[in-house]
Amino acid sequence: MSERRPYVRAQPRDWWARKPYLGYTLRELTGVGVVVYGGILLAGLISLARGPEAFEGFRSFLTSPLSLLIHLLLLAVMIWHVVTWFQTMPKTMPKLIANGRHVPQQKLTLAGVGIAAVCSAALIAAFLIAGALP
Amino acid sequence: MSEVPTSEIMERTKTIELRVLRYRPVSDHEPVFQAYQVPYSDDMSVLQVLQSVKDTQDGTLSFRWSCRMAICGSCGMMINGDPRLACNTFVRDLAPNPVTVEPLRNFPIERDLVVTVGDFVKKIESIYPYIIPKTPKSIEAGEYLQTPAQMAAYESFSDCINCMLCYAACPQFGANPDFIGPGAMALLQRYNGDSRDGGQQLRLDSIAGEDGVWSCTAVGVCSDACPKQVDPANAVNQNKTKSALDFFLRFIRPKDQGAGAKS
Repeated sequence: MSERRPYVRAQPRDWWARKPYLGYTLRELTGVGVVVYGGILLAGLISLARGPEAFEGFRSFLTSPLSLLIHLLLLAVMIWHVVTWFQTMPKTMPKLIANGRHVPQQKLTLAGVGIAAVCSAALIAAFLIAGALP
Repeated sequence: MSEVPTSEIMERTKTIELRVLRYRPVSDHEPVFQAYQVPYSDDMSVLQVLQSVKDTQDGTLSFRWSCRMAICGSCGMMINGDPRLACNTFVRDLAPNPVTVEPLRNFPIERDLVVTVGDFVKKIESIYPYIIPKTPKSIEAGEYLQTPAQMAAYESFSDCINCMLCYAACPQFGANPDFIGPGAMALLQRYNGDSRDGGQQLRLDSIAGEDGVWSCTAVGVCSDACPKQVDPANAVNQNKTKSALDFFLRFIRPKDQGAGAKS
């Protein structure tokens, strides 16, 4: 009766596609979107270095419907990346203590996302103002 | 909450189907599900339903339990696929659908809902789970003092009850059983974050490498599963930073430092 024969259940190969882990998988996948957008910016930089003709080609690609679609998709991916990044951030740092109490992680996330939003808005505003200048 | 008088024993008027993953090492080749129809009342936990099965239907059903109030950490199991304490999960919240109960994921099954905990205990022992004073004092010299703020820095990590739900939630522990894992890291941080402790370097040395903190990819589900809000993901990930810093600092650190707390 006392025979020991521990049974090991194998981890399913598709664990990352299952319920509690799917959010994590999507969060990590947004990193690919960041790389793709970095690639687009790099392509622009290379065209710029190659001369006005190449850069004009890059600009006409940017105005194409396909490029607009890609950029809309990448914008969504990037927003999700930012939000989940700041959700993860409080988990990676020592507990912040203010007045002898923990600062709630949600507050840190909110502050991070808020700062990112303000910086993005300021950047867009700066470009708009610079573009309007004679 | 207090609609029901606590002195009154509730009638078990409803019935729930309990599907239990059973494994009897002598007779079973592999685990199989067995279903039980169990009368229950709204004040019953999944643990109480299991106890009812063992008392009245099937005395061979094996599971661990002790305190019945979410403080001993014995009755962790997969309930409808999620790592939960059976004493802390109420049938009324899951009914009328069948309730599926399995042993904790990522652990070898000893029998029915009982899993092997030996490796986990070894991991806990490996991280020096006790205060190693910076400067040892005699009893006459008095206590090691600590301010409330210094206590707040580690206190939540001392709430761990070793229920191993976080290990069942961790896919990286599932992939690498040698990974030190969230629970042991919470305990490590409980001591490393203690202002009276001087064993930080010793513990940091024990968690460098793939089987230390570096198997963690910040999935974060361990913290969601924790019944005591210990936030083990925070314990693991803040020690990644420390482990990385330690990797670079070792080149300039004097050799004998950290070995000071030799046992």
